[in-house]
Amino acid sequence: MSVKIDKDKCIFCGACVGVCPVMALRLNNDRIEWDADKCIYCGNCEKICPANAIKVEKK
Amino acid sequence: MMTDYDVIVVGAGPAGSIAAREAAKKGAKTLLIERKKEIGAPVRCGEGIGVEHIKGMDIELTKNDYASVINGARLVSPDLKNNITVRTEQSKGYVLDRKSFDKHLAMEAGRAGADVMVKTEVIDVIKDKDNKVKGVKVVSGILEASSDHTNNDVYDITCNVLIAADGAESRVARMAGVGINTIRPLSEYDSGYEYEMVNVDCDDLIELYFSNEYAPRGYLWIFPKGKDSANVGVGIGGDKSDNGIFAKKYLDEWIKGPMHERFKHAQPVAIKGGLIPVGSSLDRLVADGFMVIGTAAHQVDPIHGGGIGLAMKSGLMAGAVAGDAINNNDYSESFLKRFENMWNEKLGPKLKKRLLLRKAVEQLNDNDFNSIFNTLDDNDINLLLEGKYKGVALKVLKNRPQLLKSLKALIV
Ligand SMILES: Cc1cc2nc3c(=O)[nH]c(=O)nc-3n(C[C@H](O)[C@H](O)[C@H](O)COP(=O)(O)OP(=O)(O)OC[C@H]3O[C@@H](n4cnc5c(N)ncnc54)[C@H](O)[C@@H]3O)c2cc1C
Ligand code: SF4
Ligand code: SF4
Repeated sequence: MSVKIDKDKCIFCGACVGVCPVMALRLNNDRIEWDADKCIYCGNCEKICPANAIKVEKK
Repeated sequence: MMTDYDVIVVGAGPAGSIAAREAAKKGAKTLLIERKKEIGAPVRCGEGIGVEHIKGMDIELTKNDYASVINGARLVSPDLKNNITVRTEQSKGYVLDRKSFDKHLAMEAGRAGADVMVKTEVIDVIKDKDNKVKGVKVVSGILEASSDHTNNDVYDITCNVLIAADGAESRVARMAGVGINTIRPLSEYDSGYEYEMVNVDCDDLIELYFSNEYAPRGYLWIFPKGKDSANVGVGIGGDKSDNGIFAKKYLDEWIKGPMHERFKHAQPVAIKGGLIPVGSSLDRLVADGFMVIGTAAHQVDPIHGGGIGLAMKSGLMAGAVAGDAINNNDYSESFLKRFENMWNEKLGPKLKKRLLLRKAVEQLNDNDFNSIFNTLDDNDINLLLEGKYKGVALKVLKNRPQLLKSLKALIV
């Protein structure tokens, strides 16, 4: 399982960061950092993303 | 214990800069911390604001701070056949240039005596052994390490009152671990996407387009920045994008589809977007030595999603209370509660009322909207904006009795 960020589509708006319930995401200038140890694969980030740039892969 | 600062404010948006200015004005030794290397940039906002939000803030807008003066609003029905234009004192405003405006506010904080630190990100909140907030841990590109400093660019900075003004991401309150949870269900957020565009004919009105087809549980907007340029955006319900539909796609399809004529020569010169909390303010805004303000505290207008004005109001109140706390040597939750009480007293009832209207409007489909646009006039819209719902709701129900369930809350 993993969360993938498409750097070409991402507009670094931080919407995913704001709805991540466990603070597994961090906006660092022009980069979204994802912390696999914290992630609970809830899917919030994927649902809120206005640019379809983040995908929760559950396999 | 000696601390580095009396008050630390995290985030130099409208909330944080005003809070830092007010705390500094009260004589508190204040630090304003901002992650970005340039305050105000990049912009993530439609930049619209009503004049009444600027009044009482003690800010002299300069010509650089805004792109255009707005004299009212045009509301457009889903089928694009009807519109209602409101031109009242209340609906006047500006489309700001937030790059300039936000920097201006931060400068005012600096002028009032606050230290300002850019390119510095708060990565954690420091607590003492009694679990009280004592300061922040930052990564900074501008602090010079002392010779005994080994831990890369990570520094501790201590304070007596920490103010989280970090906007919609709102992580600082959660880092503080003081029982203030800033996460709400996705339905209490909007997901926004926006282009700044040229070759869009504009007048002196902001335009709001209602459409469940192109903006489920939200709306689309054209906010003029000049005669031929505008912020063109969409906000959709936070639980509405899924299965390959998302805010950007809704906006693109609207621009290419029903709005094609208007946008046929339009060119995007910037992309903006982000998260807009649209429910109600957090109930708890303070803890010992800690406050959360502005959009970080979900203090956004529930009807239009505007957060700049409320962020400044929040900053004004919180900064003053933080300054008073320092002067009284009392940083306890019960002292800082003055801010929470002030907020609830001054804005609570009004925002609660506006949330009621939002909840009712959220239940309408496009046919309902089209019919309502046939029934209502600008006077009715003014009444709604003033919070006088009953007469307007009854007028709508006369034509559309089937809406009784949706509008019931507005007529009691
Ligand atoms: C697409 C879109 C359109 C919008 N349109 C409008 C509109 O037309 N009118 C309106 O009134 N509102 C609008 N809003 C809402 C508005 O942008 C916000 O409500 C407003 O900016 C909130 O101000 P603030 O000071 O609370 O937070 P912000 O302006 O978000 O400022 C927070 C600051 O904190 C900084 N920060 C965050 N975390 C850290 C950290 N850990 N360390 C250091 N710094 C940090 C950020 O970099 C940022 O500068 C819109 C929002 C979006 C997303
Ligand atoms: S919400 Fe989407 S576009 Fe915005 S920062 Fe996250 S991944 Fe990028
Ligand atoms: S899936 Fe949930 S927990 Fe994981 S990064 Fe996304 S929002 Fe955070």
